Amino acid sequence: MKSVLTSFEEAAGLVDDGALLTFGGATFQRAPMEFVRELVRRGKKNLTLIDREPAMDFDLLIGAGCVAKVRTGMLAFEVFGMAPNFRRKSEKGEIIAKEGACQPIIAGFRAAAMGLPSLPVKGMLGSDLLTISEVIGSQKQIEDPFTGEKMIAVKAIEPDVAVIHAQKADEFGNVRIEGPLYEDVIKAKAAKKVVVTVEEVVSAGEIRKMPEATTLPHFIVDAVVEVPKGAYPCSCMNYYDTDYDHIQEYLQAAAKDTFEQYLDKYVYRRESK
Amino acid sequence: MTDKIATPDLMVYAMASEIENFNTVLHGVSSPLPVLGMSVARRTHAPDMAYISGAEGVDPEIDRIYPSSFDPRLNRNAVAYFGLHEAFDLAQRGELDVMFLGAAQIDRFGNTNLSVIGKIENPKVQLPGGAASAFLMPITPKVVIWATRHTYRVFVEAVDFVTGQGYNNRSEACKKNKIVVVSNLGVMNFENPGRTMQIQSVHPGHTVDEIKENTGFDILVAPDVGETPVPDQDIVDLIDRIDPDGVRQSEFH
Repeated sequence: MKSVLTSFEEAAGLVDDGALLTFGGATFQRAPMEFVRELVRRGKKNLTLIDREPAMDFDLLIGAGCVAKVRTGMLAFEVFGMAPNFRRKSEKGEIIAKEGACQPIIAGFRAAAMGLPSLPVKGMLGSDLLTISEVIGSQKQIEDPFTGEKMIAVKAIEPDVAVIHAQKADEFGNVRIEGPLYEDVIKAKAAKKVVVTVEEVVSAGEIRKMPEATTLPHFIVDAVVEVPKGAYPCSCMNYYDTDYDHIQEYLQAAAKDTFEQYLDKYVYRRESK
Repeated sequence: MTDKIATPDLMVYAMASEIENFNTVLHGVSSPLPVLGMSVARRTHAPDMAYISGAEGVDPEIDRIYPSSFDPRLNRNAVAYFGLHEAFDLAQRGELDVMFLGAAQIDRFGNTNLSVIGKIENPKVQLPGGAASAFLMPITPKVVIWATRHTYRVFVEAVDFVTGQGYNNRSEACKKNKIVVVSNLGVMNFENPGRTMQIQSVHPGHTVDEIKENTGFDILVAPDVGETPVPDQDIVDLIDRIDPDGVRQSEFH
């Protein structure tokens, strides 16, 4: 095992303009927000983002002009309503939004994780989402060769980079995610490169005490960066809860056309005038 | 007494009533009413249900809800974690009995739209997306749609985009699966030969005519239409205790 501890800057360098990215967590829970802010600071362009139910992570990158395409099952701010930048830029035609439905997106990750070109799923038949997915070539109706049952083949989704925020890892990239995993393990196995930001780097000895708690072994992980509060304002279980007040502040900034000031204050951290 | 029950609490109770004991039930994102409904069901008539949280906990002891239905605090004292992909596996096996889904538009056949208002190529309004709707709607034995604004703009003649499949967009095999709609005015289902929407019960303080006026198509009335059952004070107190901040009001603004 060799150390994969890297600087934040180096890890962000693994993301090229135009890359296909997915993030760990779901809505306001354990999204890799500080890494997302770093991508904004580095002025990344033309990213394609894919995930089943993201929220502020995607909307922030969209609002900062880093995104060309998004594919999601749902992109909203839970009970707070619509994702403001996603809605605005999609309606203006400034981003391409391709809705995918949660199960096909998860199945696409699972296919890539299993080294398969596609994976069949049930459901979907009769939905206009299947029609548009067949047009873009992400889903296709097939028949099971044994029973003749109609199913939907979902094309494998292999992100260039999966970025996951976790609670702990050792320097070699053995990662311990505490609590709900969402599809983080599947996404990591599906992606070409995996960047994990963690609340704290722990010793390899600590990891060896409880191997059943290791959710990603080192050979799947390309970079580990210690980023305390790396999910903020989303939650990181056992460390901090979601800051719902901050999320409402974000929404107000986006609604009042003061989003640039929000970016200055919380992303670029420039002094406001 | 009945006129004192708030609409969200009536809806929570109506949604809880759709769960039977020993059912396996899942809720998704942005779902304060389903979380409360599942919590009420488990503490009243369905103590043996399998409760799968969108936050991934199994049978959690919910002591309060939050603006996110994935908040890990919703997994308090859970017996296990069960990921969404595992819950979807269960659904494909036909072993997920009940799911709760939303809708920005719903039509007479039960098609739902959560994708776009206007055309998909050039949306007038970009909606959030259907999440699991297109996957779960046809294959789940019972899907409960909740709609907090029963108006002709939501209950439309034809949806702009079919996100979730109604009865005219399903295979014969999937037509046996039920859709129940719980709105702020009443409870609707599709239990008639033509499989079109009918009023099954009306919430106290509302009328069949009011529902008809606020529906954008000719809605049928079930022969045994009645009044929606009202939760007793213990259940109302339970809902208040779990949601002291009124998160459940958020969809009614």
